[in-house]
Amino acid sequence: MSDEKRQVSRRQFLNYTLTGVGGFMAAGLLISPVRMAIDPVLKHDEGGDFANAGIAIDDITADPQRIDWTIDQVDGWYESEVTRSAWVYRNDDDEIVAFSPICKHLGCVVSWEGNDDYPDQYYCPCHDGRYYKNGVNVPGTPPLQPLDVYEQEERDGMLFLGKIQPHEEA
Amino acid sequence: MLQKIYDWIDDRIDITPIWRDIADHEVPEHVNPAHHFSAFVYCFGGLTFFVVVIQILSGMFLTMYYVPDIENAWQSVYYLQTEVAHAQIVRGMHHWGASVVIVMLLLHTLRVFFQGAYKKPRELNWMVGVLIFFVMLGLGFTGYLLPWDNKAYFATQVGLEIAEQVPFIGEALKTLLAGDATIVGAQTLTRFFAIHVFFLPGALFALLAVHFILIRRQGISGPL
Amino acid sequence: MHKGKGMKFVGDSRISANKTSKIPKDYSEYPGRTEAFWPNFLLKEWLAGAVFLVGFLCLVLAHPSPLEGMADPTDAAYIPLPDWYFLFLYELLKYQFASGNWIIIGILVIPGIAFGSLILAPFLDNGPGRRPRQRPVAVGMMLLALVSCIWLTYTSAEHVDWETRAEQNKPIPPGESVVDQGHPGYAAYENSCLSCHGGELEGGAGPTLIGTEHTKEEIMDIAVNGTGAMPADQFQGSDEELEQLADFIIETNEAAAE
Repeated sequence: MSDEKRQVSRRQFLNYTLTGVGGFMAAGLLISPVRMAIDPVLKHDEGGDFANAGIAIDDITADPQRIDWTIDQVDGWYESEVTRSAWVYRNDDDEIVAFSPICKHLGCVVSWEGNDDYPDQYYCPCHDGRYYKNGVNVPGTPPLQPLDVYEQEERDGMLFLGKIQPHEEA
Repeated sequence: MLQKIYDWIDDRIDITPIWRDIADHEVPEHVNPAHHFSAFVYCFGGLTFFVVVIQILSGMFLTMYYVPDIENAWQSVYYLQTEVAHAQIVRGMHHWGASVVIVMLLLHTLRVFFQGAYKKPRELNWMVGVLIFFVMLGLGFTGYLLPWDNKAYFATQVGLEIAEQVPFIGEALKTLLAGDATIVGAQTLTRFFAIHVFFLPGALFALLAVHFILIRRQGISGPL
Repeated sequence: MHKGKGMKFVGDSRISANKTSKIPKDYSEYPGRTEAFWPNFLLKEWLAGAVFLVGFLCLVLAHPSPLEGMADPTDAAYIPLPDWYFLFLYELLKYQFASGNWIIIGILVIPGIAFGSLILAPFLDNGPGRRPRQRPVAVGMMLLALVSCIWLTYTSAEHVDWETRAEQNKPIPPGESVVDQGHPGYAAYENSCLSCHGGELEGGAGPTLIGTEHTKEEIMDIAVNGTGAMPADQFQGSDEELEQLADFIIETNEAAAE
């Protein structure tokens, strides 16, 4: 600010007040619509929605196998049954791992040993993306991240799968 | 900073004269409530436009949640009323705004009428204004159906029956509006949605533009 | 404004390089107490607008927008009503001279004359005088039209019991059924009543059973002997089933009231 005293002229004063009143009206008008529009962003997903994946814990082997199950999906006012799928196997530490089959490159579906040239790897047919058995992407192939994993839980000897989360160890 | 941005734009598209045309004009004494309080009647037109702005805004936001489909229309309205934060307020703005806009429009029309402000040379603007009134009623009628509740459905059916009574073209008119000769259903809803959201607002914008341009051309009518 | 050779442009555009002054015109020299629209008058308008907006938002907050139950074309009991600004037309069509054989008068002639003369008002009322006293015919017609519209709207609205209407047509939340299908009376309801009174007791060909004021004995009597438009012998079963049916309706009502 300059040192010389600047008088606020009547015109300037009116313009400022005008901006203020205009801002008030705009805020009054927009606050509810904007809150409504951004509601999906602010809604927290409670999580913990585990669904029975339809496979007994004892049936899971060291060989990845594909499982399909359906969940009730509530999409706003639309409720439907959606099929989910996963590749599950028991890793060397005897822990069960369920991978989402969605390729981290461009969202195609990967399959275990989907290409005869790459045994013991997940293969994505779209752009030859490959992942090791532990879900980590093979360097030099298109995917840049390991496969996502499902949250999991055991109930009554059955495998229950929940939300999809990024693969942590990588 | 703002000044610099303004100058930069002004350099390129010479914005000052445009600005001058829109904002810079005189307001005579007889319409200024500061001098004669009874001049508040001149506010009705402006307030009508303000409500129209509210309607456009709230309507735009409502379409984020609404689907014009007989299976889902009611579900989506019910969902937004009960599950989405503030959506009840937004729908309330649109619902009550529809009534308020008719009230303000009526007051504005009566002001113009009783002051004889439609007389030469402002005949054209009066006719444009009456057309705006019709468009508003049309928006009210078509918007009424969209939530697809009982009130909407049966009122629309009555409206369509009335259209059917028109001699010679009645049945064609009804089919044109309803999308089907006998059923008030899926095709009616999409039609009414299209009319409510695209056709009539388009007509409304055009008419409003003419209305405002004519006002600026002719100036406001003189004192009685 | 420079013309001809003296004119300078920005680049190769047609934008004049000579800037017009940014200071708006001064209207203080104009006759009367004329004011500049921007910013003086606009500020007043916006203040009025802000007050109006606050009032409007209060209305919106105080009265949530109504939503009735999902459209059910089979609901014969529903009495349709248009939005309030069409009520005058709706009422007009109830008059004998505007309905039946004379329907054309009701839907075309009267509204046609009214709206036609409204849009053509400047040509029908083309005298030089603008004051209401100088044009008694036009003003008189307008007042007449206005009074009849208000009268028609009023008579139409007066007959309607708005509160009961709103109460009866409350939406049934999807997935929140109040009906306990495991109730021993449900089977009897399903067999004898559901086709007319609906799976949620919401009504259909018959009225809704939610909010019924009948006692258990009355319900048992109506199920067997009928009432109003409802024929007798709708229920055919044992006395025990009849009792269970009445219990079911009463208990569903209690559940719905919660």
